[in-house]
Amino acid sequence: MSTITSIGTYLPTWGTDRLRQAGDDEDAVTLAVAAGTAAIRAAAGAVEVRCVVFITRDMPLLEGGNSASLLAGLDLPETTRIREVVGGAAVALDEITSAGAGTLIIGADVTDGAGASAVLIGTGGAEVTSLGRVTRSLPVTSRDGAGHRNEYADPRLLRERGVNESLARLGNPKAVAVAGIIGKEAAGMVSGKPPALLTTGASATGFALAALADAGTIGAVLSADQATFSHAELGAGAIAVSRDEPAPQAVPNGRLAPGASVSISLSAYERAFDAKLRLVAASCSNCGTLSYPHRYRCIECGDERPSGSIALPRTGEIYSQATIRVPVPGLVSPYTVTIVELGDTGVRVLVKLTGAPPGSTSIGDRGRMVFRLVAVRQGVPDYGYAFFPGPASDIHTTTPEGAAA
Amino acid sequence: MRRVAMVGAGMTDFGELFHLGIKEMLPMAVSEAVNSVDKGFDRADVQAAWFGELVSTDGFATGILADSCGLLDIPVSRLENACATGNDAVRHGAMAVASGMYDVVLVVGADKVRETSTRSTFWDWMGMTRDAAWDFPLGLVAPANFALHAARYLHESPAATREHLAMVAVKNHFHGVTNPKAQLRFEITIEQVLNAPMVVEPFGLFDCTPQSDGAAACILVAEELADKYTDRPVWVRGTGLGLDRVMHQHKRDMTTFPATVKAARQAYAMAGIGPDDIDVAEVHDCFTGVELINYEDLGFCEKWGAAKLIEDRETYVGGRIPVNPSGGLKAKGHPPGATGVAQCFELFEQLRGHSTNQVDGATYGLAHNIGGPTAVSAITILSSERG
Repeated sequence: MSTITSIGTYLPTWGTDRLRQAGDDEDAVTLAVAAGTAAIRAAAGAVEVRCVVFITRDMPLLEGGNSASLLAGLDLPETTRIREVVGGAAVALDEITSAGAGTLIIGADVTDGAGASAVLIGTGGAEVTSLGRVTRSLPVTSRDGAGHRNEYADPRLLRERGVNESLARLGNPKAVAVAGIIGKEAAGMVSGKPPALLTTGASATGFALAALADAGTIGAVLSADQATFSHAELGAGAIAVSRDEPAPQAVPNGRLAPGASVSISLSAYERAFDAKLRLVAASCSNCGTLSYPHRYRCIECGDERPSGSIALPRTGEIYSQATIRVPVPGLVSPYTVTIVELGDTGVRVLVKLTGAPPGSTSIGDRGRMVFRLVAVRQGVPDYGYAFFPGPASDIHTTTPEGAAA
Repeated sequence: MRRVAMVGAGMTDFGELFHLGIKEMLPMAVSEAVNSVDKGFDRADVQAAWFGELVSTDGFATGILADSCGLLDIPVSRLENACATGNDAVRHGAMAVASGMYDVVLVVGADKVRETSTRSTFWDWMGMTRDAAWDFPLGLVAPANFALHAARYLHESPAATREHLAMVAVKNHFHGVTNPKAQLRFEITIEQVLNAPMVVEPFGLFDCTPQSDGAAACILVAEELADKYTDRPVWVRGTGLGLDRVMHQHKRDMTTFPATVKAARQAYAMAGIGPDDIDVAEVHDCFTGVELINYEDLGFCEKWGAAKLIEDRETYVGGRIPVNPSGGLKAKGHPPGATGVAQCFELFEQLRGHSTNQVDGATYGLAHNIGGPTAVSAITILSSERG
């Protein structure tokens, strides 16, 4: 049993009301950062995050490296305990029901409906209790380590021997929400009108719980990974929900130009990592002038003593921009590069536009900085920030009292 | 400090010189400079040489210059200063003579941009100009570096529009038609510029310089020796080199190039003249909007006056301050290391009254580069008057 204090959700801009698709600057880590940030924001300081569980079937790096980027994007200390789990909706529900206070469980899905959800376990909120689990194998969809997919394409087999048999072994429970299976298979398992979910993997469980929390519904939740099921009961209690779910837009007609991949210096990557992924400026110890990126010598007064660090504001205004329309080998064109002035700090950053079609912004437009992939360079995801135009109020947060914040 | 005279200058055609390697281009340009000296020139007189080149092809740069041009017995140094390389090489040659260390020096600039595929050139050149961790992966291709300036300039200028950018391209193509060395020798219309495929907003295809190969050379000598070589020397009256913050996000006002302003201040002061004294200018127009900003930074008009200057055709040959009579980078071509030296070649011709697109009675000429992408500027002021 655990207590859910808050839930954050994130859907990429691109796609339709029924299916979202990750942008070319998004992967499981950036999706997870967006959802995790929303969950932490919704908790409004009520929970200190001491442990992160990151669940996805789309790990960008299998040899390690995802966790440091995820912690940096979430602005959590590098000393935070973190676990990378390959799994789907059922695994997510298991993790949620067994986690201790201070655990942030993030599910992220890139394929078959992109999105991410994060559930923050605390001491106040709604209890969620595991009622059972059954682990069975019926891999009608299979994917190997290289990402090659195979579809067995037999929905009736999945329904009869996957869903129905597993449910029978769980005692044919009735649920108020079902995650991980969409369409007809879900119909017989639920009472009433279950929440419609846009994802089918690890994030689906959090989306289901968020929908129940928003509706004030309590009851059983079923999460499934093909024939494997987890079953839990959501109890009464207020859960704060923050949804970073921009209205869907048609996917831009970008084209990836063939050619050499973008090269990388891992020495330069390592030196820039914290400032770049945590959006932290140097503050001159003599005159206080902010420098971004960090500099040995103050840009204003020339002081060379070690500088302090200061988090930069995450909102700003476009000072100038350029939209690249020619094909650039290894990149998706067109793309827009913007110079954004952050808050009233005088600090400007050079970043790509995201969440809006290339060329759709104007100088003076306001927006926020969001964690994104800048590029994949020789197989290494190079994370940083991008400019997402529009007011921050697009993110909808519901407090436990029910008032929109 | 001794006065410095330019007594010879030459250049190859600019263009996609697939049939020529750097080892052919260099001796072609040097021999043309040698042969241009009115009273004859023995290359054994050369005491030192400077070679401006951004990207080495076929190996060790200074060795290739010495080896291919018969200059194995003198010191040769390579100089690289982004797109300001050419005029900075001229500056180094002039310093060497002015200081009294050498009496006769050779300045050469060259690049073979088309030695690599257009596809790999994108990242090769971005790698030279951008911070590896911060800016490089953004895909800030060359036009984008300048588009960030031009977009802000158009946003703030009360007068300038994309049409004014197009007017620059139309003018420089018009000028380039008569230049036999130019890469793009055809006229274009404003409509063609505006309707061309977009490269990086606000620059369409005709707002951009082509990718070029080429080499250029000039011979600088001490005042005492000028008579030996010619009765009509051109004098190096002023040089300047200015720098600015490298990262775009650190440039406070992107409607101007502070590097140009600083280089111009130095060069004008050294020459003892002001912008009103310039009769003809070869300025860095890698992208059309850059030429407009240059007008203001060089003092050819007041802030935001560039749109009216081009609108009134004042920078055409025959106007108040003719700019880029050679066709500029836009029509003549832009092999970066050669560009500044080739500008001085054009001014050498102008100030001796021999240009194919002559400005009547030109006495003072100014050559200007900006690069890095917008963090360094080099300026040379030449004159037919010794001063």
